[in-house]
Formats: sequence, structure tokens, C-alpha cells
Amino acid sequence: MNKDMKILIVDDFSTMRRIIKNLLRDLGFTNTDEADDGQTALPKLEAGGFDFLVTDWNMPGMQGIDLLKAVRAHPELKDLPVLMVTAESKREQIVEAAQAGVNGYVVKPFTAGTLKEKIDKIFERIETPA
Amino acid sequence: MVDATRLDLANEFLDAIQEGNEEHADEVLAMIAAERESRLFEEIGKLTRQLHDSLSSVRAESDLAGIAEHEIPDAKERLNFVIEKTEEAANKTMDVVEEILPVSETIRTRAGQLQEDWSRFQRREMDVDEFKKMGGELVDFLGELTRNSDTIHSGLNNILMAQDFQDITGQVIRKVIQVVQEVEDSLVGLIRATGVQATPKKVVSEVEAEGPQMNAEDKDNVVNDQDDVDDLLSSLGF
Repeated sequence: MNKDMKILIVDDFSTMRRIIKNLLRDLGFTNTDEADDGQTALPKLEAGGFDFLVTDWNMPGMQGIDLLKAVRAHPELKDLPVLMVTAESKREQIVEAAQAGVNGYVVKPFTAGTLKEKIDKIFERIETPA
Repeated sequence: MVDATRLDLANEFLDAIQEGNEEHADEVLAMIAAERESRLFEEIGKLTRQLHDSLSSVRAESDLAGIAEHEIPDAKERLNFVIEKTEEAANKTMDVVEEILPVSETIRTRAGQLQEDWSRFQRREMDVDEFKKMGGELVDFLGELTRNSDTIHSGLNNILMAQDFQDITGQVIRKVIQVVQEVEDSLVGLIRATGVQATPKKVVSEVEAEGPQMNAEDKDNVVNDQDDVDDLLSSLGF
């Protein structure tokens, strides 16, 4: 896994973005950028250079699930790995995210260990395709 | 049951008819009708009084307009205050953490280096000059350690103090719960007084964001932890 990869953190709460940013830095990922909802995230993603997207679900403006769908529908972004970190914990929501093509799903509140495990798993899978 | 007055009047009516006293018969009939009418008026009076009482009790007990005008905006303000306070506390805490993390990193690096030097000294792999240098570094490190410990100590104190939001926000949220309770009581009172039938809730078909689930363990369609999420996803072939 490339520790220099550029990661976009999308969450409407600045404190949660800061927590995720710190956890990622602790895991060795220092190249991060932030957006506060799907609407501000999408142009940043479209501008290019991002290798990984970590997004919340429940946000004003454009929700995380819609951002995920927009990414999957975008010709240049469709293969971008997406990790959802969210308090949304209904089974149908997790199924919805899975069907929309999410790569990992972490429910809040979460631990640093869970975040690391999911990121490792996502990139393990990408680097060694079945 | 027919009461005595009506029975008497009926008998009087029958007697009058049998005696052929039409005039008296009409009089008695009118008396029966009058008695019936007065009972009807009495019932209507009772109903009117009941309606008036329940309407004024709704007005008195459930000042919905007042709640909508004053207490709801007040509750919104209070909840915004809670967001502000919790955000402030989270940022204060993270400020300290970001300040202390590099300090602890420095301590670790320096201590590791000195430990290595000390081992070399014990293995007699160190000459006098190097030993003197290590001695100097050790003194520096101990001074630094004292200063860094002070930084960590005051940082931890700041983290501790940042937790005071819990008390303040707890009180504010309790107030808001009280307002919600009042609204609920008023609405229940209103529905009882007007007899409005509750219509079943609209079925939401789209998957919508709901935020954190309360009492998740009591709900079948909600996962309880990350293990549940992982199980569900692996059942979907993830």
C-alpha cells in the first residue's frame, strides 16, 4: 500500500474530519484533503489526484451515498476505492451502500484498529485481484 | 323504565279519551310533550357545557401556540448551543493531543538512542570521549524530560477541563426533553378533545440517512456493532 496516496476525507463535522485525519496520520497517511459534503467533494475528486475516498453518509447538501453513486457513475472516478465511515446502521442502508459499490463500511463510533483493518483489507483486495 | 309522572299522565290521557273529553286529552298530551322537550333541552345543555369545558381545558393546559412561539425556538437555540459546546470541547481536546503527540515521539526517540548508547557502554564498546558525550546527552535528556513532562501534565489537565461540556450540555438537553414532553402531552390532549383519528405514518420507501440509532439493541433491522456490519457484508459476498 502506498503511504503517500492522496486521501479525501468527507464529513460535515469538522471534528470528525480532524479525528479521521489524525488516525490516518497515525497509520502513516499524511497526504489528506477535506470536504464537508458531497457537493464540495465531487469537484475536488474530479480535479483528480485522489487515490482513496473516506466519506460519511448523513450530510447536508449531497449525502455520502449519492456521492458514492456519482463516483461510480463517473468514467474517471468509477474505480476509486471508497470507505464509508458513518453512524447509519440500518441493515438496508448497509445493503444499499454495498449495492452502490462501496469498498468498506465502518459504523461510528469506531476505533483506530477498525479503521486500519478496513483500509488494509480494501487495498489488499485491490492489489491482489481474485 | 317509565317514571311515575309519565305513567300518571298516560293514565289521565286514557281516562280522558274513554270519557270522550277530547279537550282534556289534548291538554294532557301537551303536558307529555313538554316534559319530553325539557329532557331534550337538559341533554343539549349538558353536552354544550361539556364541549365548553373541554375546549377551555385544551386552551388552558396545552398552550400549543405559546410552545410554538417561544419554547420551540428556545429549544432550537439550546440545541445549537450543545453543538457549539461539544465542538469546542472536541477541538480543545484535539489541540492538546496534536501538541502532545510529537512530544511523546521525541521522548521515545531520545530514550531509545540513550538506551542503545548505554548498552554499548556496558559492552565496553565505548571510549572515554564518547562516554563523556553520552553523559552530556543524558543530562540534556533529563532536563528535556522534566520540561516535556510539564507540557504533558498541563495538556492532560486541559483535556480534563475540556470535559466540562458534559455537565452543561446534559442540563440543556434535559430542558429540551422537557419541552418535547410538553408538546407531546399537549398534542395528546388536543387529539383527545377533538377526537381526531391518528392516520398511519407515511411509508418511506427510499433508503434515507437517519443518523445514530437510539436503542439499537431493541431493533431487528439495525446492526449493533462493526462485527454485525462485517457479517452482513460478508453474507453479501464482500
